[in-house]
Amino acid sequence: MSGVLVRSEVEPAPPVSGPMQPMPLSLRGVSKAWDKGRVPVLDRVELDIDVGDRVRIAGRNGVGKTTLMRIAAGLIDPDRGRATVWGTSAAERQRLVSFLPAGDRGLYARLSVRRQLDFWARIAMVPRGEVSARVEEAIEIFNLGELADRRVDRMSMGQRQRLRIAMTFMPHPDVVLLDEPLTSLDGEGAQILYAAIERLLDKGGALLWCSPAGERLDYGFDRTYMLDEGRLVAA
Amino acid sequence: MNTFAANLNAFYAVVRRDFHIYLSYRTRLVSQILTSIFSLTLFYYVSRLVRVEGFTTPDRYFGFVVVGIALVGVLYSCFAVSETIRQELVAGTFERLLLSPFGGVRGAVATAIFPLAYAFVLSSVTLGLGVAIFGLELHWPTVPLALPTLVLALLAFLPFGLIFTALTIATKQANVGASWIIALLSIVGGLYFPIALLPGWAQLAAEVQPFTPATELLRHFLVDAPMETSVGVALLKIVGFAEVLVPLSLYALYHAIRFGQRRGTIIEY
Repeated sequence: MSGVLVRSEVEPAPPVSGPMQPMPLSLRGVSKAWDKGRVPVLDRVELDIDVGDRVRIAGRNGVGKTTLMRIAAGLIDPDRGRATVWGTSAAERQRLVSFLPAGDRGLYARLSVRRQLDFWARIAMVPRGEVSARVEEAIEIFNLGELADRRVDRMSMGQRQRLRIAMTFMPHPDVVLLDEPLTSLDGEGAQILYAAIERLLDKGGALLWCSPAGERLDYGFDRTYMLDEGRLVAA
Repeated sequence: MNTFAANLNAFYAVVRRDFHIYLSYRTRLVSQILTSIFSLTLFYYVSRLVRVEGFTTPDRYFGFVVVGIALVGVLYSCFAVSETIRQELVAGTFERLLLSPFGGVRGAVATAIFPLAYAFVLSSVTLGLGVAIFGLELHWPTVPLALPTLVLALLAFLPFGLIFTALTIATKQANVGASWIIALLSIVGGLYFPIALLPGWAQLAAEVQPFTPATELLRHFLVDAPMETSVGVALLKIVGFAEVLVPLSLYALYHAIRFGQRRGTIIEY
């Protein structure tokens, strides 16, 4: 992406372990295997993401990127190791992390955009007095104004993806995890997403992005790792 | 905003979500009211055949069975939560709920509120139709007591739905065996006929679940049906079941979710 520094192109990737202070997101020795241990996916993965970091994980299909994201989000447990947010793996992390899963799921088909955003804002424990403002903010930032009263099952895939992204950023999290966020997005949608990421980072947030190897991205990352045979390798 | 207010707000959001989704299916209420009318009609004419000891007039049996019909809806709504959570697993919305500060357990409990409230409304409509169309005689002085009794009964019934939700999360199959559990509870809970007609061993089953005392108590308050035990004993039984079953069901739900997270199967559907 022009104008955005891609650190991994100009300097070696920083060490991925050994911080002395809590990071927005840390993975320590994370291992996971499926099918009762017969299919190893992650093997002692170490990763630290600091304030303001844009980190991308790339890899082949089925290599374990989504598993890594799910563990980082706290959706599933690793077999070994731990994922922490600001040093804690406890329940309060859910106020600090927001996860956009891959695909087009996670929406109520019969609810309108506005009702959907309102619902998820309240579930995210956004203070009651701020809910309406947050909803309107998300509608504006993600250019959902014309769709605000439209039901999700009457929207295109790209529009749904924009709504899913809006739901991810709306709670103002510290850490945003995006699993293949460009799915179905057009150029305008992608630019809206990049602008939202920049606002997150300006406010001291951090980003972990995962997408398939070889995907052409017009966005720059501070660090890019390849996930291969369960290990992260600086790209 | 304190945690209590935030949780209350989230509970409210879930109920409102379910209400709006319900409203998006416009013919559902009409269809359910028609079902109630058909059931009432069926049992009204069946009741014309009933002249036995215990039901001195057909109207006595009709009053008895209308309360049973109203409670069957409540019974079904208790189990509806597991089906809803199954749909949420498929839609990926449960995953989001789980990752929210509100969490999966509270999310599932909140999901039960609208179906229960709706079942309450539908039960009231059924009773109202019974009065308006078929001349059902309610015992008005004690009718207001039915409301707190039903709320208490719902607390005792809800754990059945939550335990089935836990099973759904663990096995990914909605309402495994729920239909026969509902049928069984309808029989041993005495929804359509007195449990005194059942063989002795089946009457034992009537004692070990909250539907029997709740049904008996509601019948007493709504249509002045005589009680086998005292009001106090029936109330104590309902409170006792709620006290034991609510924490047990929440425990089961929490551990079903944690089991799925440990195994990684929480994302499956």
